[in-house]
Amino acid sequence: MSMSLKLMNKYCYAFICLSALFTFSVLAADDKSANPLKVHGFIAQGIIDVDGSNFVNDDGELSTELTEIGLNTSYQLSDDFRFAAQAVYLNGGNRYNEGLRVDYFLIDWNAYSSEQWQANLFVGRFKSPHWLYSSTRDIPFERPSIILPQGLYFDGFRDIAVGGDGAAFKLTYNNDELGEFDFNFSRGKSPIKSEDAEVILSKISQGDIEHKLDSQVSVYWRPVFSQWRFGLTLLDSEFNYTSVSSEYYVDGEFQFQNYTINAIYEGEQWEFTSEFLQTRFLTEGFYTALFHQDNLGQGGYFQARYKIDQKLTVIGRYEEFYADKDDKKGHKLEERSNGIVPSYFGFQNDAMLGFSYKFSNNLQINAEHHWMKGAARLNPIVLPNPQVNKEHWKVWAIQLMYWF
Amino acid sequence: MVFAILIGSPVTHAIDVITNITADTASITTAQLRRIYSMRQVKWANGVPIAVFVLPSNNILHQKFCKETLRLFPYQLDRIWNKLTFSGMGIAPTPVSNMEELIKAVKSTTGAIGYIENINEVSDVNVLKIDE
Repeated sequence: MSMSLKLMNKYCYAFICLSALFTFSVLAADDKSANPLKVHGFIAQGIIDVDGSNFVNDDGELSTELTEIGLNTSYQLSDDFRFAAQAVYLNGGNRYNEGLRVDYFLIDWNAYSSEQWQANLFVGRFKSPHWLYSSTRDIPFERPSIILPQGLYFDGFRDIAVGGDGAAFKLTYNNDELGEFDFNFSRGKSPIKSEDAEVILSKISQGDIEHKLDSQVSVYWRPVFSQWRFGLTLLDSEFNYTSVSSEYYVDGEFQFQNYTINAIYEGEQWEFTSEFLQTRFLTEGFYTALFHQDNLGQGGYFQARYKIDQKLTVIGRYEEFYADKDDKKGHKLEERSNGIVPSYFGFQNDAMLGFSYKFSNNLQINAEHHWMKGAARLNPIVLPNPQVNKEHWKVWAIQLMYWF
Repeated sequence: MVFAILIGSPVTHAIDVITNITADTASITTAQLRRIYSMRQVKWANGVPIAVFVLPSNNILHQKFCKETLRLFPYQLDRIWNKLTFSGMGIAPTPVSNMEELIKAVKSTTGAIGYIENINEVSDVNVLKIDE
């Protein structure tokens, strides 16, 4: 009964979203002036099949849990102040918690503007501007593939990593000799629902996880008229886990410190992208009161895209991720767990091929196939499940997307 | 209101950049144009906010303007604009369907900028000299 109600609610919700999107897309199509009110949106639906892991679902069947719907607005309050907000509905199966989210809801203050400099302060809920795809990770037509490299863009951390409640500062500088510079700084915390905690910590955990303030910095540089752009990002984030007396886990603290570097080349036909990550993951408590683990993980990917013509683009990518750079094959992990956790939970490599075809300026289809090795980025990461997650697993997905 | 575009002999012109008269500028550099179209400069020197108008991404004039004038590929601009629009960090230019609409929008919008081609004379806008 509750299952059918849930299903009915889901379809009602999808119907309301579609009606709103259609109405707003008609309004947006009529807007040919510099109207202070802007409305945009997108809808994407796909099918995804995973063989050998619970990446999307537990039964391994073909899934339609590949839905992304978003609607946003921007209103220019005055020359220097602007309001912007976006709501998204996401359904990715086990990848993250299904449901509606307020993606961002902010006031943008253009604090300083000249021909060379621009400074903006964003206050409220903001999306992380730091990594190459952090602000567009669930904007289907603006990310390179349906599934992003999980070492850097781990779906289990989506709701924590996508942004925060607080403030972000952006400074851009343009120099006719040296090029374009961007500096971003943000400080905020992510509200974590119990369902989000379940995705990462498993359904066995009953306590509360709280995100303490995190700080992120990024710097980007594009030389004058260059096809290249280079970036550097730093992140420091802490979480507290408060257990309940009846559960298996105890109070704990987690800390992430991420350092990434990236480079992108945007040519007329070829495009190359690479990001490298070093992540320090510190765990105190949680499993037992005296548990202490301080891992330095590493990962990175190289991605090439080739535009065959204006409509068809093919993509290939290879990614490696190691949860502990001193235990790349995961042998120590297996030893520490007395053989319960297989070594392949210490790494995850992904070889991917795909294409996108643009039917028009706002209608596109993406398709891709991933050959995965390892299970370090499968939820719940604190409680690996070797029964369903094999060392070698595959994913293919097709997604149709429309935006306005 | 009827807006007068005086079309002369069919001489092929390079792409011209036009602005609303409130922009108060007679020339512009390629680097500055690139900043404006990539939304890295949002106000004119006189403090008037810049309203950027563009033709659709698959329009031939738009593609020519991106590649020859801005030295950017159209997909690069689409990417910058989509990122701003869907992250809440900024706004994208306002798209218009054709050159007539673009001229009309630039004439009637404070601080507006746009581009035209093969038009000998257009009244009530600034036609900017582009410096390298």
